[in-house]
Amino acid sequence: MADKVNVITIAGSLRKGSFNAALARQLPKWAPEGMNITEAPAWADIPTYNADDQASSGFPASVTRLADAIRAADGVIIVSPEYNYGVPGGLKNAVDWVSRAKDQPFKDKPVAIQSVAGGPLGGGRVQYQWRQICVFLEALAFLRPEVFVGMAASKFDEKTLEFKDEAGINFIKQQLVGFEKFIRKVSGRA
Amino acid sequence: MANVLTICGSLRKKSYNAALVRALPALAPEGMTLTAAPRVDTIPHYNHDDQEATGFPPSVTAFADAIRAADGVIIVSPEYNWTIPGTLKNAIDWVSRMKEQPFKDKPVALQSCSGALLGGSRMQYHLRQCLTSIDALIFGRPEVIVTFAPQKFDAETLELKDQATRDMIKLQLAAFAKFIERVRVT
Repeated sequence: MADKVNVITIAGSLRKGSFNAALARQLPKWAPEGMNITEAPAWADIPTYNADDQASSGFPASVTRLADAIRAADGVIIVSPEYNYGVPGGLKNAVDWVSRAKDQPFKDKPVAIQSVAGGPLGGGRVQYQWRQICVFLEALAFLRPEVFVGMAASKFDEKTLEFKDEAGINFIKQQLVGFEKFIRKVSGRA
Repeated sequence: MANVLTICGSLRKKSYNAALVRALPALAPEGMTLTAAPRVDTIPHYNHDDQEATGFPPSVTAFADAIRAADGVIIVSPEYNWTIPGTLKNAIDWVSRMKEQPFKDKPVALQSCSGALLGGSRMQYHLRQCLTSIDALIFGRPEVIVTFAPQKFDAETLELKDQATRDMIKLQLAAFAKFIERVRVT
């Protein structure tokens, strides 16, 4: 396939040993032939959103970098932990900034969601908060298959953080295949 | 007597939500005092590695101490992208990790303002979901959802002028005072 779709991953956790970040890093292994997957610029240094700061000094470079990467991508995969039954505040703050940019980067952007959690639900609650946010952003949220990785500690290699769960890998592969088709369909590409 | 802490989800100076916070003392029942929580914009993004390496930042500790010291908390927040502002959620994410978690068994009431017709209600229902995870005692009704905010605050002074809104807030604060008394551990 000549024109691959370019997808970026945004991980919602900052810690080095994060299962969510580990999953995001490994997605290229399972991508279909027609999809390139790379990591989005880091959001760790994006300041707290304050409309007064935006009015006085504009968008920080860290925000512009992330916004540009989202605009340039054909699709975005958010891989997010669940904090207190909801969206991690740090990443939400990055989205709050980006959402104020002109030529709002998430508008009409295909977005798929994955989550990893230590408990049995695998981040089910956080994904439905992300979907609500996507409605506001006018992002095109990909539907099914959903990827929830529950009981994370038993599914990643303790040392290397390699994701080893065969059933989970199959779901991810199916999601990525579906997401590629979705991107091509909504962007009018063959 | 109830000492209530107010937490504001917006940082900008002309915020309607911050103006709502300022309107509360005049609408509070006798015996309820309102104090503003330390600002949350100095709290860094939550990173478990940082917590392990250097513990809780002073900004987080100050925020948590203020919550612990209060008899109740009122969160007054805008809705960003149909949910909780990231900065406010990040502050909650930090304190939720503490031993002697400050929101546990803490009475919490919610208020929101927005420029449009839903008044931040989607944010409030996500906040209820998140507060469930940290064992807060979430106050039910009446809800304070201020719609079409520019019509209800003075354009210059940002004073809350709308009588129906003021009445609703009085009802909520009076009921919240009773709720605090009822659930207070003595």
